[in-house]
Amino acid sequence: MRASRTVRIEILYGMRDMLPMSLAAATYGLAFGLLASQSGFNNFQTISMSVLVFGGSSQLVAMDQLVLGVGPAAAIIAGAALNMRILLITASMESVMRDRSWWHIGLGTFLATDASVALMQTAKSRLMTDSYWYFFGGGASLYLVWIVVTTIGTFLSSGVPDPELIGLDFAIIAIFVAILPGMWRGYVDVFPWFIALGTVIFFGVWLSEYASWGLIVGAIFGAMAAGLKND
Amino acid sequence: MTNEIWITVLGLGFISFLIRISGFILASHLPKHGAWARGLEALPGCLIVSLVTLMMIYGSALEWITGSIVLVISALTHRPNLAMFCGIALIAALRQLGL
Repeated sequence: MRASRTVRIEILYGMRDMLPMSLAAATYGLAFGLLASQSGFNNFQTISMSVLVFGGSSQLVAMDQLVLGVGPAAAIIAGAALNMRILLITASMESVMRDRSWWHIGLGTFLATDASVALMQTAKSRLMTDSYWYFFGGGASLYLVWIVVTTIGTFLSSGVPDPELIGLDFAIIAIFVAILPGMWRGYVDVFPWFIALGTVIFFGVWLSEYASWGLIVGAIFGAMAAGLKND
Repeated sequence: MTNEIWITVLGLGFISFLIRISGFILASHLPKHGAWARGLEALPGCLIVSLVTLMMIYGSALEWITGSIVLVISALTHRPNLAMFCGIALIAALRQLGL
């Protein structure tokens, strides 16, 4: 009885702490639904993509590639390349899912997104850093919001207010900037963060065609710097 | 086009799930102490730094200014949600002013 109550409370906290990220994702999902319906996707295909892929930027890129006529293989590769960063996110969530059943692990990893990293920060203040159900609650609520807003987007097809006018396009940047101070662990982070930052800038300036890879390489180089620093 | 869309939807869904589960499997086989553990502990922060840098690198001056204010508010108040909503309100107001 007490265990199920604890699980319920942890799920509810996860859902609550995910709300700001849900708002940011909602604008993205609405845009995806709208663009997909204007790009030849029928409603069922659009909603299926959000249900099965659950990755905003990768869905948009894959759809864009299909519209350009490069074929499904190239579209899948482009979308998958953008989702490679989630491999790093599920790697850093290992302690949350350790010793769980395989269906729990499957579900937990499926619900992992960029927003899960933001939850890692709020989890610290709630002393729930290793709570599976906290992350499940957050991930599941974001998943539901993602599907609902995509569905709304497919049916609206036009007449949506410009997100730029009300600043909602900035929500996704703002939330990740805002969680940065909470991720700071002290001077131990100076060198890894500097390496990550420098790598992304290098890709952005000199290898701009591969800028999205800079995110993955930057995070890996930063983590490597942290690992090797004290050896 | 319809078949191509379905192949993409199903293919990307499958590959995305493989990517997600691979991260967990990979991390579960890494040592829990020493250099690997330190690297994994630092990974979330490095990922957010990389993500923010990538989003901001091509951003406008307005986004840089608002982003900096969001960072300061969050660091001072320890309330990221409040900082995010201040950022949204500020950038909307500045755009309304034609900046």
